[in-house]
Amino acid sequence: MENKHQVPVTVLTGFLGAGKTTLLNRILTEQHGQKYAVIVNEFGEQGIDNDLVVDADEEVFEMNNGCICCTVRGDLIRILSGLMKRADKLDAIIVETTGLADPAPVAQTFFVDQDVANKTKLDAIVTVADAVHLSSQIEDHHEAEEQIAFGDVILLNKIDLVKDENIDVVTKRIRKINPFAKIIKTTKCGAPLKEILNLDAFSLKRILEVEPDFLESDHDHEHDDDVTSLSFVSEKPLDMEKFQNWFGKLLQTRGQDIMRTKGILDFKGENDRYVFQGVHMLMDASPMGKWPDDKERSSRLVFIGRNLETMNLKEGFEACKSE
Amino acid sequence: MTTDLNQFPQLDKTKFEQRGIQLEIGVPVTCAVSIGNYIAAGFGDGTIRIFSSGEKHKTLKAHKGVILCMAKDGDNILTGGDDGYFLKISLNGEINEITNFGSRWVDHVAAHNGNLVCSSGKVVYYWDKNKKEPKSLNHDSTIGGLAFDAKGRRLAVSRYGGVTVWKKDYSNKWKSTKLDWKGSHNKVSFSPDGKYLVTSMQENVLRCWRLKDKLDFAMSGYGSKVKSFAFIDDTSYLATSGAIDAICWPFDGEGPMGRKPICLPYIGNKQVTFIEPFPDEKAIFAGLSDGSVFLSQIENENNTIIIRSFTGSEVSAIAMTDDKSSIFIGDMSGNTLWTSIWDQ
Repeated sequence: MENKHQVPVTVLTGFLGAGKTTLLNRILTEQHGQKYAVIVNEFGEQGIDNDLVVDADEEVFEMNNGCICCTVRGDLIRILSGLMKRADKLDAIIVETTGLADPAPVAQTFFVDQDVANKTKLDAIVTVADAVHLSSQIEDHHEAEEQIAFGDVILLNKIDLVKDENIDVVTKRIRKINPFAKIIKTTKCGAPLKEILNLDAFSLKRILEVEPDFLESDHDHEHDDDVTSLSFVSEKPLDMEKFQNWFGKLLQTRGQDIMRTKGILDFKGENDRYVFQGVHMLMDASPMGKWPDDKERSSRLVFIGRNLETMNLKEGFEACKSE
Repeated sequence: MTTDLNQFPQLDKTKFEQRGIQLEIGVPVTCAVSIGNYIAAGFGDGTIRIFSSGEKHKTLKAHKGVILCMAKDGDNILTGGDDGYFLKISLNGEINEITNFGSRWVDHVAAHNGNLVCSSGKVVYYWDKNKKEPKSLNHDSTIGGLAFDAKGRRLAVSRYGGVTVWKKDYSNKWKSTKLDWKGSHNKVSFSPDGKYLVTSMQENVLRCWRLKDKLDFAMSGYGSKVKSFAFIDDTSYLATSGAIDAICWPFDGEGPMGRKPICLPYIGNKQVTFIEPFPDEKAIFAGLSDGSVFLSQIENENNTIIIRSFTGSEVSAIAMTDDKSSIFIGDMSGNTLWTSIWDQ
């Protein structure tokens, strides 16, 4: 409220055996002097070396807000509110999810619960991927694909066990699902921790700073339910009313298939840049100050999700351009 | 003393602050209960402070972590913590372990006539006062709240998807009835007359069941989650937090359906975060998100007095002694006030 100090929360996701626990223990041992709380699943991998480990149930429940895909982690709301009552102030909280977990409910919890949003903030979703098995895991389990789709950082781990040309194949596969995550190739999760923690990846300001690669992505793929990404750029200013109508309806009707969105928008008649980012139907958007003088004004928009090609996104976006 | 609601909040100390004892503990106050003319308050560092008039308060180290919940059991205090311990503590500081769940938190505790309950995760444990071993009552999802009715015959357990009401039948076997409503239910309470059951939900709404026919309805319109509510004087009103006014729903006669609540406004437009009734006076203490606390008569909003001025931190506990002589107030930053209510 008055005192808006928010504890950063890093979500660690990834398939069983990819190396989540290895990474977690590295964070805990190398960042000594920092006070962390670690929230793990009781059926998860054991052997976490920290004095504050909390068992969670991964209880996912639906919100009664008329939004069908709006699921949250009920246990996380309870645990985070309990942790905020502690005497010692935490430097960060790490949530480890089970191998088969969909990261969306975790992320959505930070949009939906007011107390959680007041006292903590989602820092980033870090996905640990097994370079040896990722391709087959993506084929067999939609969760593996979702974990890649939601990642802000993807640790492509165990590259010492894979031939160089195969690393390229896996990297391309990841890029096709999620072109704007940062991919770090590691053995034993040996990435610099500053590239994993305190990224502020969900803040709108950060989206402006890093300006993810809004590249036109190709979209050939093998199965209809593959997760892909599409991005659009317009040099011509957009009409705010048209955009809001189109985008609002799009998230309302297709929000289940649209996993993540990010964008920087240039509206006709507006001096400010508009920045937004969303998880399924939930969105955070705000004007973020004037366009810099040395930068061309343009609108950029990225979607990650399933069945994107059936949503007429290009036509919809084109129709938002101002007359 | 009547405050003018258009007046800017006073920076001066109230007379209650002037004559009372104010402490800056620096650790969140998580709960407080009255035990006769004593008040026990729980803190985020596992300590309990016991206040009584004329004596210096006593500090006990009870839990290793946060005290998550507290209840009165006769002359004793029951506490549950994030260290997994369920404790019974006497007013002179004797601490007895009832059980310990290891790394699992004790989220809720309650007691009636010597029978004790606590919940940890999805399970409620019930200790009959004549038995050593607890009876486990299982649920499909994590428990959001526990409450006995006034006679201690029924135990309401809120959870995801509604409330389970447990009752012992004639052969002393536990039987449950389910009251279903989609969504996550937190704090739960029977009305003192036993006719209604109310829960606060994850959404900014209260759900209520009229128990004779299971008719259910919502009380909505809140700007934030309803974290605190209390029935007033044998079910004449239900006073609730969650808005910038204290919202008081009429529960006399045919209940609140189709009737408007009384909204008690306060200076500063801050959210009400805690409600504590003032028994027999149709009055409530309302604690706000800025730390201020007001006492007002429900049917006469002009009769509002300021008890504590703002501290900048959300009020998280208010408790009054059973003889209605003194009050304890605590907030999330650990600022406490212990004061007599009446002018000497």
